[in-house]
Amino acid sequence: MSYFNLVKSITSVFRNVYGLSRFHHTTPGVCCYSKIQSGEKYTDPFKLGWRDLKGLYEDIKKELFISTTELKEMSEYYFDGKGKAFRPIIVVLMARACNIHHNNSRDVKASQRSIALIAEMIHTATLVHDDVIDDASSRRGKHTVNKIWGEKKAVLAGDFILSAASIALARIGNTTIISILTQVIEDLVRGEFLQLGSKEDENERFAHYLEKTFKKTASLIANSCKAVSVLGCPDPVVHEIAYQYGRNVGMAFQLIDDVLDFTSCSEQMGKPTSADLKLGLATGPVLFACRQFPEMNAMIMRRFSLPGDVDRARQCILQSDGVQQTTYLAQQYCHEAIREISKLRPSPERDALIQLSEIVLTREK
Amino acid sequence: MSLRQLLMRLPCYLGALGPLRRPWWFLSAVGSSRGQSTRSPTHWNQVVSEAEKIVGYPTSFMSLRCLLSDELSNIAMQVRKLVGTQHPLLTTARGFVHESRHNLQLRGLVVLLISKAAGPSNMDTACQNYDMVSGIYSCQRSLAEITELIHTALLVHRGIVNLSELQSSDGPLKDMQFGNKIAILSGDFLLANACNGLALLQNTKVVELLSSALMDLVQGVYHENSTSTKENGITDDIGISTWKEQTFLSHGALLAKSCQAAMELAKHGAEVQSTAFRYGKHVAMSHKIHSDLQPFLKEKAGDSMTFNLNSAPVVLHQEFLGRDLWMKQIREAQEKGRLNYAKLRETIKAGKGVTSAIDLCRYHGNKALEALESFPPSEARSALENIVFAVTRFS
Repeated sequence: MSYFNLVKSITSVFRNVYGLSRFHHTTPGVCCYSKIQSGEKYTDPFKLGWRDLKGLYEDIKKELFISTTELKEMSEYYFDGKGKAFRPIIVVLMARACNIHHNNSRDVKASQRSIALIAEMIHTATLVHDDVIDDASSRRGKHTVNKIWGEKKAVLAGDFILSAASIALARIGNTTIISILTQVIEDLVRGEFLQLGSKEDENERFAHYLEKTFKKTASLIANSCKAVSVLGCPDPVVHEIAYQYGRNVGMAFQLIDDVLDFTSCSEQMGKPTSADLKLGLATGPVLFACRQFPEMNAMIMRRFSLPGDVDRARQCILQSDGVQQTTYLAQQYCHEAIREISKLRPSPERDALIQLSEIVLTREK
Repeated sequence: MSLRQLLMRLPCYLGALGPLRRPWWFLSAVGSSRGQSTRSPTHWNQVVSEAEKIVGYPTSFMSLRCLLSDELSNIAMQVRKLVGTQHPLLTTARGFVHESRHNLQLRGLVVLLISKAAGPSNMDTACQNYDMVSGIYSCQRSLAEITELIHTALLVHRGIVNLSELQSSDGPLKDMQFGNKIAILSGDFLLANACNGLALLQNTKVVELLSSALMDLVQGVYHENSTSTKENGITDDIGISTWKEQTFLSHGALLAKSCQAAMELAKHGAEVQSTAFRYGKHVAMSHKIHSDLQPFLKEKAGDSMTFNLNSAPVVLHQEFLGRDLWMKQIREAQEKGRLNYAKLRETIKAGKGVTSAIDLCRYHGNKALEALESFPPSEARSALENIVFAVTRFS
């Protein structure tokens, strides 16, 4: 199957990625938009976003307030201020971009800031559960909750964070917002189920991978962006822009994450690399490499379970153009994200979101 | 298909699971059924089946959408792979079948009964009444289902094993890893369905109530896990007031808050809501104490029958005795490094712990009955009373 057909098959799964074929002849290169869309005058999106996120982790810890010290300690473990806070940053920037677009309002509503907290809490709850599921031992350069406190307690800590997020969500007092973020919880579980199975057919396998990526990563970003847009602006067109921006950035973010699993060293990532292969998961670079090295099909189907599979697959991937192709696909998602967000009225926050989508592509950890 | 039917299928997927163990209440309920008047049943099965008739159709505590989903058949398939391993998820799955009539649906049933007992509020306009079947709003039926989903999810998550503490008798590590994985996913799947159901109710106060019930339950299970893992009778030095707080979290909060939420859904005011909360809380407490008491009340308890050292009679026994004497009794019941439960049980039965646990059970039962007094007499209210009678009857 030609690469073009592959792209077509992706396009058929996800509408709105029609931008893909337009960029088909673009040479894969990183960050080709940075000079055009955002110049030096804009501040670092993370700095801009943090202005509204001061005290983020303290506020999250307030939501997790309980008397049991150990459970509290476990739940707060990842809210140590060392994470990237990627999701909260996008959420508050999107909130401001939508507010300005709507009525030039220069404020972030308390409810919109709550969404930033809730997004980070839902994300963290799933990290805690995922680490037990994958039997992971390190994350962000420290031991995982399950390795320190054991699996039994770790699962409860995850449930606890989820319940706190759910309470915070209810307190916003808006049933539409509850529905939007509940969709995320459902998607996260379904994504985890998709990860359990593998598909025989190559086309199906790629669609399956993209669907899993959407549910496990992009849905949270897309729906939190949508939630702040709903809170800031009544126009459904804006809600769709926010959602599509979040979805595309989320997809790009995860594709690059999958690339970094092969190209980055473990010190940079704070977690072991080639982790996905070891878990038996075939991510973007693997699926692309498989087209050049058909012997990988068998390995994918047996989930890299034989001795030597992981190393052999890793070599194939690095010899193939799997990494470049996945990066290229991530770029297409970013272009689409930029195209969407550019429909909003100009604002420093809107431009920071454009810049952020580029940072997603160039990040090294 | 009801949740019960569905879960009953699980063991079929699992194949032969060995001889079924009847839980305590099965024997005690059969034994005590003789000579009961049919007008006020205290026989547990009878109480439940009559109550189920009152709420209309057989309770189906899971939406069809959820039952027909790929994920669920996926779960069933995955659980099947666990057959032959020692993972506790299997025990939980077995428990669904054998305790389904009695524990699994109890919470949902109480929510439905109290919904019917309270009826529609005066605040409620007639426009919503078409939505009622057998005096219960469809949103209240969804709520009952959500209550069961949350309870079941935590039941599944309770059965995760710590991989670093495995013994060689537990079998291969990878089986246990796999079991954990499936247990987490199944529990998360049930929670996601609960969240989804809550969102559909379109009532932020109900979402908040049930979310905080989930938070309480998680804390309660956490306490339970951390006390029950200690071996050889080294129990926590907790007094009965701490015991009550923890038991409220692990056993009372979900039912109390669900009952309150059922009133909120029918637009009842704060007073009715707090009455429903009290009924849910006290009936759950007395139900818990009742089951804690069973190992001490049966005439011929098997020698191998263990009991929880943090159950109500034991905690009360310790309270009367003082910590030092209690530790001494535990040491005396140790044989070759293992606790002789039969011996310890006799020691406890000789003290005042059992009778005061019975008193405590009745105290909560009476509080539950008091709460019911403000509802108008109805068959639903009688059914709620009968549940209290069934759990406070000792003979």
